[in-house]
Amino acid sequence: MTFDEWLRVDRLPHIYCAGCGNGTVINCTLSAVDQMGWKKEEIVFVSGIGCSSRAPGYIVTDSLHTTHGRAIAFATGIKMANPDLKVVVFTGDGDLAAIGGNHFIHGCRRNIDLTVICMNNMIYGMTGGQGSPTTPRGALSTTTPYGSSEAAFDLCGLAAAAGANYVARYTSYHVKELTLAIRTGLGNPGFSFIEALVQCPTNYGRRNKLRQVSDQIEYFKSHAILAQKAERMREEGKKIPDDMIIIGELARRNRPALGVRK
Amino acid sequence: MRLVIDESRCKGCNLCTLVCPYRIFRPGTKANPRGVIVPELDRPERCANCRLQRLYGRTICGMCQMICPDQAISWEEEGPCEPMKVAIEY
Repeated sequence: MTFDEWLRVDRLPHIYCAGCGNGTVINCTLSAVDQMGWKKEEIVFVSGIGCSSRAPGYIVTDSLHTTHGRAIAFATGIKMANPDLKVVVFTGDGDLAAIGGNHFIHGCRRNIDLTVICMNNMIYGMTGGQGSPTTPRGALSTTTPYGSSEAAFDLCGLAAAAGANYVARYTSYHVKELTLAIRTGLGNPGFSFIEALVQCPTNYGRRNKLRQVSDQIEYFKSHAILAQKAERMREEGKKIPDDMIIIGELARRNRPALGVRK
Repeated sequence: MRLVIDESRCKGCNLCTLVCPYRIFRPGTKANPRGVIVPELDRPERCANCRLQRLYGRTICGMCQMICPDQAISWEEEGPCEPMKVAIEY
């Protein structure tokens, strides 16, 4: 479980703010890749634009930093040109849900053999804290100064409905489970979508009464509810509070995948 | 094995103080030359990974290393040393 050999040590410390959860997701991804036993030459990291998309720059393998929202489109090209490569896409919520929404849906529909890791910090962190499609209702941001009045996008529900083979959601507090989910996604043929909720102390927590990094981690810890438990509560007729985050493996199926050598 | 915090990478977010089951990490008090208040280690020889990694041949626990967003926590090999008694809390 070592990921230090996968990092570009001369590039560290990285550019993320103190306490940013993206670093945790990099750790989880790299230890999952390490557990798969793959060589550095056979894996490509692709990213779009945003805080999360700076992640491949700190990893020694080949990587591609592409235009805003088009990471899945570029990754499709890589996978179709050389199906032997393992392609992992790092993307953020603004990148995937807002500008790249259609690429995401059609990636799920085609069921390409990619692993997409969405670092969802619920805000546009890099550009100064504008509200994103995943900003929860009532949250403050620079473009929603009276609280967001829109419902947030359920990315996992979208991926599952569009036909992704493996869908899971965890937070940056659940590091072991997130590592296991990424590992399952890497080993699974077809489109694997893992949503990792991360803390953004600089632009989200600061405006939403979660000023310390630990406050937001405590929030994830106390508001996460496992999918099986949520299902049980629903069967018993209990009401799940609106602000609960449903974590766990949300879809797993075996649709025919594109980009896998027969 | 010895638990170390790489002061050139740490940004002082204190997430390690939250997750360690032994509460080895404590919020620091003094800023280092980079202006970062690096957490202090409280009796790091209690760390389960320091004691048992060699025996089990894999990383035990390792929560602090996984959650550290700045990849600053690691274990380094130690040279031969005098055996000493360590009080372990349960």
